[in-house]
Amino acid sequence: MPSFTLLAQSVLSGIFIGALYGLLGLGLSLTWGMLRQINLAHFALAFLGAYLTFQLTHGAGWDPLATLLVVVPCFFLLGASMHWLFARFAITPFNSLLVTFGLTVIVESLIQWIWTADQRLMDSAYGAVRFKLGALYVPLPELLTLVLAVALSLAAWAGLRYTDLGRAMRAAAEDAPIAAAFGVNERSLSLLLSGISAAFAGVAGLCIALSFTLAPSQIYAWIGVVFAVVMIGGLGNPIGPLVAGIVIGISESLTMALTSPAWAPLVSFSLLIVVLLARAKKI
Amino acid sequence: MKLATRIIAALGAAALSLGLAQAAPSGAPVRIGSTLALTGPLSGTAIIHKIVGEIYVDDLNKRDGLLGRPVEWILKDDQSKPELARTLYEQLITVDKVDLIIGPYATPNIIAAMGVAQRYNRVLIHHTMGIPSLAKYDMQFPAWSVGPNPETTVPNTLFDALAASAKPPKTIAIVTSKFPSVYFMSVGAREVAKKRGLQEVLFLEWEFGNKDFGPIANRVKDAKPDFVFVGAIGLEGNQLLEAMKKIDYVPPMHYYMYPAPGPLAKLPEAQGALAASIFEQHPPFTNNPIAAQFVKEYNARAAKAGLPDNSVETQAAASFSTWQVLEAAVTATKSLDDKVLAAWLKQNQVDTIQGRLRFDRANNYGDDLMRVKQVQNGHWVTVWPKEWAAPGAKLITP
Amino acid sequence: MRVTASGWIAIAGLALATVPFFKPPAFYETFLYLVFYWIVLATSWNILSGYSGYFSFGHGAFFGAGMYTTATLSGRYDWAFLWTLPAAALVAALFGTAIGAVVFRVGRLRGELFALLTLAVTFVLATVVLNTRIDGGQGVNLGGVALPAIGPTPSATFYFLALALTVITLWTARGIYQARLGTGLFAIHDDEDVAEVLGVPTLRYKLVAFGVSCALAGVAGGIHAMFVSYVTVGETFSIIVPLTVVLMSVLGGTRHWLGPTVGATIITGLVYAFTAGDYAIAGRAAVGLILVVVILFMPNGVLGRFAGRSRTPTRAPDANRTAPAAARSTAPAQTRQQRQGEILLDARGVSKAFRGVQALDRVDLQVRRGEILGLVGPNGSGKSTMINVVSGHFLLDSGRIAFGDREVSGMAAHRIAHAGIARTYQIPRPLAHMNVLENVALPAMFGRNSLGRIDAEREARDWLEFTGLAGKADALPDDLNLHQRKFLELARALASRPSLLFLDEVLSGLTPSEIDNAIATIRAIRDQGATIVFVEHVMRAVMELADRIVVLNYGRVIAEGLPQDVMQRPEVVTAYLGKPHA
Repeated sequence: MPSFTLLAQSVLSGIFIGALYGLLGLGLSLTWGMLRQINLAHFALAFLGAYLTFQLTHGAGWDPLATLLVVVPCFFLLGASMHWLFARFAITPFNSLLVTFGLTVIVESLIQWIWTADQRLMDSAYGAVRFKLGALYVPLPELLTLVLAVALSLAAWAGLRYTDLGRAMRAAAEDAPIAAAFGVNERSLSLLLSGISAAFAGVAGLCIALSFTLAPSQIYAWIGVVFAVVMIGGLGNPIGPLVAGIVIGISESLTMALTSPAWAPLVSFSLLIVVLLARAKKI
Repeated sequence: MKLATRIIAALGAAALSLGLAQAAPSGAPVRIGSTLALTGPLSGTAIIHKIVGEIYVDDLNKRDGLLGRPVEWILKDDQSKPELARTLYEQLITVDKVDLIIGPYATPNIIAAMGVAQRYNRVLIHHTMGIPSLAKYDMQFPAWSVGPNPETTVPNTLFDALAASAKPPKTIAIVTSKFPSVYFMSVGAREVAKKRGLQEVLFLEWEFGNKDFGPIANRVKDAKPDFVFVGAIGLEGNQLLEAMKKIDYVPPMHYYMYPAPGPLAKLPEAQGALAASIFEQHPPFTNNPIAAQFVKEYNARAAKAGLPDNSVETQAAASFSTWQVLEAAVTATKSLDDKVLAAWLKQNQVDTIQGRLRFDRANNYGDDLMRVKQVQNGHWVTVWPKEWAAPGAKLITP
Repeated sequence: MRVTASGWIAIAGLALATVPFFKPPAFYETFLYLVFYWIVLATSWNILSGYSGYFSFGHGAFFGAGMYTTATLSGRYDWAFLWTLPAAALVAALFGTAIGAVVFRVGRLRGELFALLTLAVTFVLATVVLNTRIDGGQGVNLGGVALPAIGPTPSATFYFLALALTVITLWTARGIYQARLGTGLFAIHDDEDVAEVLGVPTLRYKLVAFGVSCALAGVAGGIHAMFVSYVTVGETFSIIVPLTVVLMSVLGGTRHWLGPTVGATIITGLVYAFTAGDYAIAGRAAVGLILVVVILFMPNGVLGRFAGRSRTPTRAPDANRTAPAAARSTAPAQTRQQRQGEILLDARGVSKAFRGVQALDRVDLQVRRGEILGLVGPNGSGKSTMINVVSGHFLLDSGRIAFGDREVSGMAAHRIAHAGIARTYQIPRPLAHMNVLENVALPAMFGRNSLGRIDAEREARDWLEFTGLAGKADALPDDLNLHQRKFLELARALASRPSLLFLDEVLSGLTPSEIDNAIATIRAIRDQGATIVFVEHVMRAVMELADRIVVLNYGRVIAEGLPQDVMQRPEVVTAYLGKPHA
């Protein structure tokens, strides 16, 4: 019989990894749901962010959190210009998937060219810090990821719900022509939203760099599960990915704690299938 | 003529250690073809083989080349895909018409290349083929000398080393990725451990690509084994160790099958971690002048290529041995004929930087030259068997 | 003699089959093998996803099912390699069809939801294969399996196998494209509800497309298992396979049967153009860049321009057309005389609720043969729901509907269409990627007459003339104005020669003179023998046209009778008009 500590620690572990799934899914879900763009390059951006964090921390000796000062504005511009390109060519949702796949390959090559394909591990002062909660351990990098994921998800939710800008965004997403008739400038809002999503990818990159060893091909390792998280959470829903991420994280980690870890993907993807089938009726 | 060639060859060998330039080889180049996974998921390791190949070919050409002719290495990128490896080897043989081929990197790609070599009756010397039983072709020669049954011999070497240590383990946890070449070894280790009377307290498998190692770390911690055998490839060892660190667990003794050596050694928690190796850049390996020269050259070029870890270990040494075996066979037979080369290799032994290689057992495998190394103060040092241990080094137990 | 596309495929196949006899370097055979392999995978994907619009991301699973079938049967059970290929097709097809049977029955799941679902299926299958004896974790080695000597060399053998499969695949893709199945799938692509209502058996067609697509992918997987000779879960079920297949199809153009072939050839060629060891990374970046540029500048793929244009065999106006529609439609008109007054549609106690809202509450409705029945009521009173229930779009909660002597409640919508019921939509729902003629020909092909394509188009042209759209036959629906789109709806409903026609607010939004026109047209339709139920807000038209009126309010029938009579009843005036009608 597995001990209580094992189960509790596993749940905690699931929450942490789930928070990262959610953080990665947040920007993806917003642009997917509100701009109808399936942005595969989101993963490439996250890893580019991770490598930049690594470079600034490892090479230039910055504090990992301080790197956000550079990464966030840069990525905002990057995201906005990407959207400008998509808008310029009036790209369809499905073609956005293919174009961003092309961009992903380009970014992957860029990363390999600059940092080589060899694994990179960022050692920061954060890595060694962990807190103890009774018998449970709470490592700082993971805690930071959870806090950032919760904060950004809530901020996105509140921003969309309570600010004029957010309401205008939702209106534009729901019915662009009508929103435009009410004076909503859809184009600049879309640029803003894309910029913010890319900035979220940058933040997720920081979290990846804090907890994971980096390699260019790792970009593709996250696609499946994060897509599942985004879909279960509901497209365009700022809280959904976080909740779905944590649900998947916990269900996987409990599977790993109780049965053979090799079966864990079965649980999360079966969950996705069930959710999709349940949702099918409503459409 | 023959005598002259031999003298020049001998001088060439001398020049390697002295670093002297030699009269340039002449004539049409000997063209050697291969692919490597320069892009895609396996590219992290392929770069090592690329650097080693370049070092060796440069060096050959500084000496007398092969048979007095310059050597040209035709390298293609198989993008980590076996079907591409297969097609490119066919291109190398039937279109580029190379004189010789050598192996790509990673088991599936080597198997793909082996099929091509077999159809065209070409000698294939390869490194990093993890599952010897899959090497069915009689003109393939492994330069990574792990013996015909590494799934038994490697764990036995490991358990011998542990048994001779100050604190031989009684219980064992085996946790492994289901990556084919690693899983193969872990399943073997499980059998060996059972035979040797170690009590298995945990056996876990995970899917390659798993991200959350927290629960696995927890289960290892709960099982309280004396020794953890980790069937991890690449980053997985690091990930598991990091997950253990996060719950304040330090395994008493732990072994990693195919870790990413650089990143693992750098982790403070990896102190005492064991792994298998055929070469480490310390004496007695570096007592061999060729090895010493190679280590120096490799360290420099790897640093220039921006690799985070510049030291020579299993991968680079296996790669270097491949070239050594090829050169030895060509030089000895004075031939580029595949059948002649194969016949010679079956009859003879070749001195390489990992030791003396022979190819006369099942599937042309020879001895298992895998040694046991350990992370000590951030560096890998060989600790077993004693004759290959770094000066003064011993297996440290907690 | 004109050579058909299938003929060209055969000629190209035969020409390519001679290649190995010129003894080229084996590399070219192997390279072409890979081109063929990707053509088969991309084309098989396109048969389901490109044609019907169900974008699958699960092609890795179906291809992998075939791969592991061959690996298991030949590696473990010592089957001869060639015999494993039909098994690979069967296993993959059964697997795909089983998934389809579940997914398509549960509900409408399209676009990214379907893509994600199939991707999830891939990962589930991968986990099962990895953790059971099928693979177990160490991969399956086929090195010892004998390769039959079909060609002079092993590479030629693979070449022939893949070439044969490519020819079969292209024949299949082209055949489906031309056949009713293809037309039906393209209709499903544009609007599945409409396709079903026009008589397309959507569920069966989707399942057939799914099965065919998976079978072809399965065989490709079986051959490829032998080609790579070492099968592992990681290589087989990676996300790269579906991504590549989608990429190839979209690059070539998903609405053309040859599109995936073009895309697969381009991408496989590109991959090989950048295998030089010196510039590997730059080469990979270049492939990415080319993809971006091509998709941006050719969003519909290389063959996008030909989309939906080359399918129709007869384009020129038919000189031999015999009689106009009106004349040819007299046969039912005669029977009408004999059987007028008999009850054609009999709905009893029909109820339908949506999330607690009772849209229809025990409605009884009889429609008599040959009459024009006005179905009126305020907004939200249940008129459109009634049409949706009768046409089979919604299942009813209780009650029963008989049409002639058949019970139609509970029947699939396409079978109801076959029985002779047609409808229009209040907001026109043309099939956007088909031109006007193809839109109207569709019900003639799939409705109760089930005409061949040429006859169906002749029929369609008649109805286009009847509705005044003859000049727009080649236009896409998007190029029509509202008036024309309404008449396209009408023409489409008529083209199946229904015996009962539901018109859902065909007059709304039209100008008074257009309304006059339309009233005349509806009369003409009735005079040709159809029975008409029409839902309408334009009271002038109701009063002019209807023989009888049924008034619905809150899902109940509150009045029924002659127009003048009913519209003056106080309960109708209050419920429907709010104040007395002028």
